[in-house]
Amino acid sequence: MITWIRRNLFRSITDSILTVVSASILGFVVLQVFQFVFITGRWEIIQVNLKILLVGRFPEDMMFLVGFSILATCFSIASLASGVSRTVETTPRLAGRLWELFQRFGLIIATSAFLIVLAGDLDAILFGAYVLLAILGGRLFGRARRNASLRKLPGWLWVTINATLPLVLIFLTMGQAALEEWGGFLINFYLAVVSIALSFPLGVLLALGRRSTLPLLRWLCTAYIELLRGAPLFVLLLLAGVALEFFIPASIAPDAIFRAVTVFTLFTAAYLAEVIRGGLQSIPKGQAEAGKALGLSTFKITFLITLPQALRNVIPAQIGQFISLFKDTTLAGVALSVFDLLNVGTAITKQDDYLGQGLIYESLAFVGLLFWVGSYVMSRESQRIEKKLGVGIR
Amino acid sequence: MSNEVFKDASKMSGGRDSDDAIIVIDGVYKRFKEFEALKNINMQVGRREVVVVIGPSGSGKSTLIRCINRLEAHDDGHILVDGTALTTDIRNIQEIRKETGMVFQNFNLFPHLTVLTNVAIGPRRVRGLSKSASEELAMELLTRVKIPEQADKFPAQLSGGQQQRVALARALAMTPKVMLFDEPTSALDPEMINEVLDAMKELAQDGMTMIVVTHEMGFAREVADRVVFMDKGEIVEVGTPSEIFDNPKEERTKKFLSQIL
Repeated sequence: MITWIRRNLFRSITDSILTVVSASILGFVVLQVFQFVFITGRWEIIQVNLKILLVGRFPEDMMFLVGFSILATCFSIASLASGVSRTVETTPRLAGRLWELFQRFGLIIATSAFLIVLAGDLDAILFGAYVLLAILGGRLFGRARRNASLRKLPGWLWVTINATLPLVLIFLTMGQAALEEWGGFLINFYLAVVSIALSFPLGVLLALGRRSTLPLLRWLCTAYIELLRGAPLFVLLLLAGVALEFFIPASIAPDAIFRAVTVFTLFTAAYLAEVIRGGLQSIPKGQAEAGKALGLSTFKITFLITLPQALRNVIPAQIGQFISLFKDTTLAGVALSVFDLLNVGTAITKQDDYLGQGLIYESLAFVGLLFWVGSYVMSRESQRIEKKLGVGIR
Repeated sequence: MSNEVFKDASKMSGGRDSDDAIIVIDGVYKRFKEFEALKNINMQVGRREVVVVIGPSGSGKSTLIRCINRLEAHDDGHILVDGTALTTDIRNIQEIRKETGMVFQNFNLFPHLTVLTNVAIGPRRVRGLSKSASEELAMELLTRVKIPEQADKFPAQLSGGQQQRVALARALAMTPKVMLFDEPTSALDPEMINEVLDAMKELAQDGMTMIVVTHEMGFAREVADRVVFMDKGEIVEVGTPSEIFDNPKEERTKKFLSQIL
């Protein structure tokens, strides 16, 4: 123990200084956070406003649909994540597997548990349990495909089942309430999921278009990509808020959510297209030649051979785009006056009970933490999928 | 461009041979910018014939066989494969690619598909066989190249020699009339060369029409019906293996052989 400390922390004078300095900084930060979270923080503002932070004024009797949507999404993601892998995991012992799970989800579970306790709501705790069950179910479904029982199911059908289940539920849920009634994290979640689902195919098509041999199509796609990548997202969102009125009479103008989805989709698709194009360029020429030599059409070479490899090679960059899209949904709140989590978070500090008490810290900490949980899950899972698909192994 | 011009051309290049020739190459030129890769190539390959093309690197051997299945487009002249003319018409090109199999120097297996799927993809996606029928066929071919036990692995898990045999099975799965080999053993470790050459010899014994670009002179001597020596984009000399190896007529052939043997 002492030798370890000596070797790793105090090997030289410089090391010692660095160790002492970083230890003090770390200690200070931990102390401050601890104080804020457990002593000075006044979390009742979150507890009281929990529902409005999460779903806005969504009708109480339709809340079960929101729950189902979230559960379905967790189920699908877990199922896809465990179903796409090449090999069946071989970690033998239960203890080893639990340790692995702890490494992957320990921080997330701790944070979620903390958030739930913070909310101090029995329903929330119960729901947390349901979420865990949904994830478990999804894993089993994904695994069933890898093993014998669902082998026969074609890959595309399996992906479609997984993708449509949550999307249908989400659309169904959204239809149940007027726009003014929903808000909070629900909006960010909805914007992110729908924009991701729409921008991905568009990004693929744009990437292929930019590599097309047809000059007109190529120029069109290139112009689109460069134009959207060159403009700040915030400006595009503001534009979408006002510019559409010039063309469409206000009475039939689309609502703010629709505009936000449109902008996020178009914007993210442009970035994704470049990421995917990079992936396509990394595939050796011999792959397409081997396809040609077999007599495969250009279309089949693209969709059976080059594109699947390209998408696999750029999983980290793609997920990175999705994470930044997820966080950028807060911009819609500011630009289009959508009542999203950030807007709700600032608004609740202006309630009569809390006005002028400086509770913005508590509120923003909660908002930030919620986004962090989502982003962190995405990033960890992308690393895992990447490893499982054997990216980097040719 | 047409078929008419073409028929005339094939007639001109000698009626006797073209009746049983499966490949007719007539006055073919290929240029890469300023560089002339092929200059006035005339050649015919008969059914069930094994032709080995040798020559120094950069002599145009690979370019020549890559023109036969249109991985490169020739600039002048005519190429006729089993009666179908290679023109810019994509339908003709597809037709010819279905009938000609190719094995590459770097295998070019599809790394994201299992060995079995690599072999089954042609019959399934080009010929339209059912999943089970194509996999059955693939299994047969993997047995033929002696690696049925590797079917569920991925290409990266196989040795070079095994990968090249999978590539051979993949090409054969299309039941081609002609097989093109582009330096099939050049990327292999020495101890793996023979397993691939043996599989090729078997194929030749079964009567497959083959054009093989290779540096394996032993293989050429043993298996080839004819040997073609190319240099600087031209066919310098054609003959039986003993004519070329034991008694070369051209100065350039002699020089090349003295360098490599």
